[in-house]
Amino acid sequence: MSMSMSMNRSGSKRDRSIPRRPLLWLAAALLFTLPPMFGSLVRWVPCVFLLALAMKFWMEPRGYRLRFATLKLMLAAMGLFAIFASYGSLKGIEPGISLLVVLVSLKVLEAHTAREFQVMVLMGWVLCLCGFFLSQDFVIALCLLTAFALLLVALIQFYRGSSPGAFWPPLGTTGKILLQAAPLIILLFVLFPRINTGLRVDFRANRFASTGFSDRLSPGSIAALANSSEIAFRAEFPGSTATPPGSMYWRGVVMWHCDGMEWRAPYVPVSISSRDRGTRQRFTNNTIRQRITLAPHGARWMFALDRPFESTPGAILARGDYLWSVQTIRKARRYEVVSSLGAAGKDLTPGERREALEVPPSISPAVRELAQSWTTQNPNPRAIVNSALQFFQAQGFRYSLTPGEYRKNDLEQFLFHRRVGFCEHYAATFATLMRLAGVPARVVVGYLGGEYNDLGHFFLVRQADTHAWCEVCLPDSGWTRVDPTAAVAPGRASLDLHSFLERSIASGQMETRRGGFFTQLARSALFTNARLALETLSYEWDTRVLAFDADVQEVLLDSMGLANRGSLVLIIEILIVAIALLVIYFGWMQLRTRSRADRVKALYERFCRKIARLGARRDPWEGPSDFSTRAALLLPNESQRIREISNVYIALRYAPEPAGVALDRFAKEVRAFVGPARWSPKTYLFSAKGASRSQPGASSQGPSHIRKER
Amino acid sequence: MKARKLPLVYPTAGFAGLLFVLGAMWYAASSQNNTAVYLLFFTLTAVFLVSIPHTLINLAGVTVTVESVQPAFVGQEVSLPLEIMNDSRATRHGIELILSGSDGEHQRIDHIPARKAARVVLRFPARQRGEHHVETLCLTSAYPLGFLRFLKKFAPAQTYIVYPKPAGDVRLPSSFVHRRDGRPLTELGAGDDFAGVRDYVPGESQRHIDWRAVARGQPLMTKQFAAEAEGVLYFDFSALHFANVEERLSQLTLWIIEAERARRPYGLRLPGNEIPPAIGQPHFHQCLRALSLFQSKGVRA
Repeated sequence: MSMSMSMNRSGSKRDRSIPRRPLLWLAAALLFTLPPMFGSLVRWVPCVFLLALAMKFWMEPRGYRLRFATLKLMLAAMGLFAIFASYGSLKGIEPGISLLVVLVSLKVLEAHTAREFQVMVLMGWVLCLCGFFLSQDFVIALCLLTAFALLLVALIQFYRGSSPGAFWPPLGTTGKILLQAAPLIILLFVLFPRINTGLRVDFRANRFASTGFSDRLSPGSIAALANSSEIAFRAEFPGSTATPPGSMYWRGVVMWHCDGMEWRAPYVPVSISSRDRGTRQRFTNNTIRQRITLAPHGARWMFALDRPFESTPGAILARGDYLWSVQTIRKARRYEVVSSLGAAGKDLTPGERREALEVPPSISPAVRELAQSWTTQNPNPRAIVNSALQFFQAQGFRYSLTPGEYRKNDLEQFLFHRRVGFCEHYAATFATLMRLAGVPARVVVGYLGGEYNDLGHFFLVRQADTHAWCEVCLPDSGWTRVDPTAAVAPGRASLDLHSFLERSIASGQMETRRGGFFTQLARSALFTNARLALETLSYEWDTRVLAFDADVQEVLLDSMGLANRGSLVLIIEILIVAIALLVIYFGWMQLRTRSRADRVKALYERFCRKIARLGARRDPWEGPSDFSTRAALLLPNESQRIREISNVYIALRYAPEPAGVALDRFAKEVRAFVGPARWSPKTYLFSAKGASRSQPGASSQGPSHIRKER
Repeated sequence: MKARKLPLVYPTAGFAGLLFVLGAMWYAASSQNNTAVYLLFFTLTAVFLVSIPHTLINLAGVTVTVESVQPAFVGQEVSLPLEIMNDSRATRHGIELILSGSDGEHQRIDHIPARKAARVVLRFPARQRGEHHVETLCLTSAYPLGFLRFLKKFAPAQTYIVYPKPAGDVRLPSSFVHRRDGRPLTELGAGDDFAGVRDYVPGESQRHIDWRAVARGQPLMTKQFAAEAEGVLYFDFSALHFANVEERLSQLTLWIIEAERARRPYGLRLPGNEIPPAIGQPHFHQCLRALSLFQSKGVRA
């Protein structure tokens, strides 16, 4: 009957060392906290962490550990110094997290007792927290949540001790707990008040270097982004199933200031006045609504299809028709914007015209001569634009990711000698030439194209899609888009950059530095589908989870009619629901694991209580058989059923393994057994009626007799 | 054994750590308005809450029974054999058994399968002679997360006997030797003619254990020598010249052990209680029991 169990005698003061199995789980969990660190901390910090984990596995079976306080202190001081040396300061989130990681590494090396295991798991959870500070990207979030779950597995495995099963049983228990926790998590996520503590410390001030393009367009600045697969934004077109016709030029910023091959946007853009907006709206007929989910990029650009004519909340519509956020964009942001696809018909003010024709004096005579030659040929701005485009097409200009170094005064070099460049070279040169030829021109930087995701029905635009193009002001149509890159590399505008590069490589037109095998792998159907699915999930994560902040919550609570309660009331209500849920879980588990014998006993006790209320109390020493005989004599009305139930009970009680069906029937019978619940006039009436029905004649005798007995 | 209906609950040391981590998460989330950190905070909170019924259920249907406790001498260890029964239909993990009173005496059982029992022996030093109640037993469990510990108390009705500490002169007193069948007594001495082996009696000197037999895997046996197996002894409490009652009892205990080991019939005379001479285990324990209960104030807790 009994089995000998494995047990650890721990009555002595000596602590147990940490068993290997939970340690393995812990190590696996901690590995999953690494990816965000590798992206954003100094490289050596996660390496030290990895090294500590590896050493732990070497040390633990040998009984080694970091023992001496002085050594620990020295190592900690060394870590502190190294972090200071790497970052130049100890303030800010990255040095802070680095320090924490170093301390956790030391703790891992030092920990050796059972109690410290729990501390290590808690530290792992803190590392997850730090990871979310560094990045909230979907893949990172997936890693960190996996780490969280694995830490749970490690903890459970630790408390299971030497129970059989090292892999599936702890995983199963973890899965069960997480599954049961899921409704609670959702409840908390939706309803828990997002109180702003008001103790705001901006950890991210010095860490968030902006990604993507800057307000300065210099030769090579966009080519540097061409290999970045980082996401810039996602765009949906609500209300229309069809994708917009033609190439998608996403407007980011308009640059007015020309400095040869370098262009610059105004530091603080001027907002377009509302009067202007009113006149502009009348002209628009071909509009398209977009919903953009912006990845945090640390600058203030907000993107929209060419060209937005309304500002969105929290942004202004700047001169040049681009959106400019009032605050730096440090977290994912979602907005809707309406763009008109036609050109904006608007005359320039004299001041604007002057600005749009300004060129630096440093431009060489040869370049000036070239521009002048087009003007003398035909002074019509359209003709000048065409001449310039023809110049690019006919003179053997090439489109390349690696055009070599140019400085801002190398316009002549580019135009007459090297003739190889990327989109920023062409856009900057073209706009400068236009200004030299007397046509008002400006450079627009944004994105071109995007990848359509079939699963999620959205466009994904990456940093690699960054593009620069020009706008010239023509007398009849106003500012008109001219993309000189399209003249050099026809087809670029209709594809995203990567597809374009692929085709160019295939036809031998392009020189490239991209490797062959991985590109091919990345283009395979399976990989593409997996990538699309991941991107969809990532999109859902950004739009449904990350975007659910205090403001969205307020709107939701409002729609649920819960808006006006205080935080405390809400927390108490959540707590009540949570406790109810826990009680349900407990009852359910109790029902599933309680032995049948226990249930039989509980049911019989309930039956005895019912009979006791009718007047026959069972003595503790009385067997069920004797009691049923006595009770049947005391309660002649119910004698038949008392005997039946008692017989079933005896059969079930002494059966080796009570059958489930018989048990259920027994439960039903006990439940159906009538007895007045409590003494009250009402129950008295009902029981009297019941008795009179079953035994006419002796109607009032039974109950009154019972009452006397009590 | 009847347990309280609902287990007691108290936080473990890790609970403070958990509260700290949860507080840090909440502060980080709310000060940065970081939704992902909020999610982490809610997940940890929910997991902790859900672990409570899991811990509670881990003790449901688990009962502990004390099996018969062997008597021990003062200075030895009392072995408390316990059976922990799992009546439920699920495996129970990480159950700890704590004996209150003695210095944190506890045992950990990693797992008990459904409808199976685990046997555990708790040991604690026997300090005082007499009959004692088994202390309250606590079944506790912190499984699965170890942040809260639930505790179920069991008050066993069993008692155990602690015999006085054997001490004093090892040599059996010749003055107590009585005649049997009128024949003259043979001289007592440490004869060295090996006469066979018999069962080991707890408390006996280990010098006479047949260690070779033990090495062969046989139970503990005591070697017997021919010269010892002679004569009848009568031990009289009032005939001893010690001032201290406990010293007298210790001496008597030692003699009883020695006489039993030497297979010599012995009787015991205490004030108000006389046990006629006999030999064998029941007699041996009867005598020792009388000694341990002598002038004691009933059952001790």
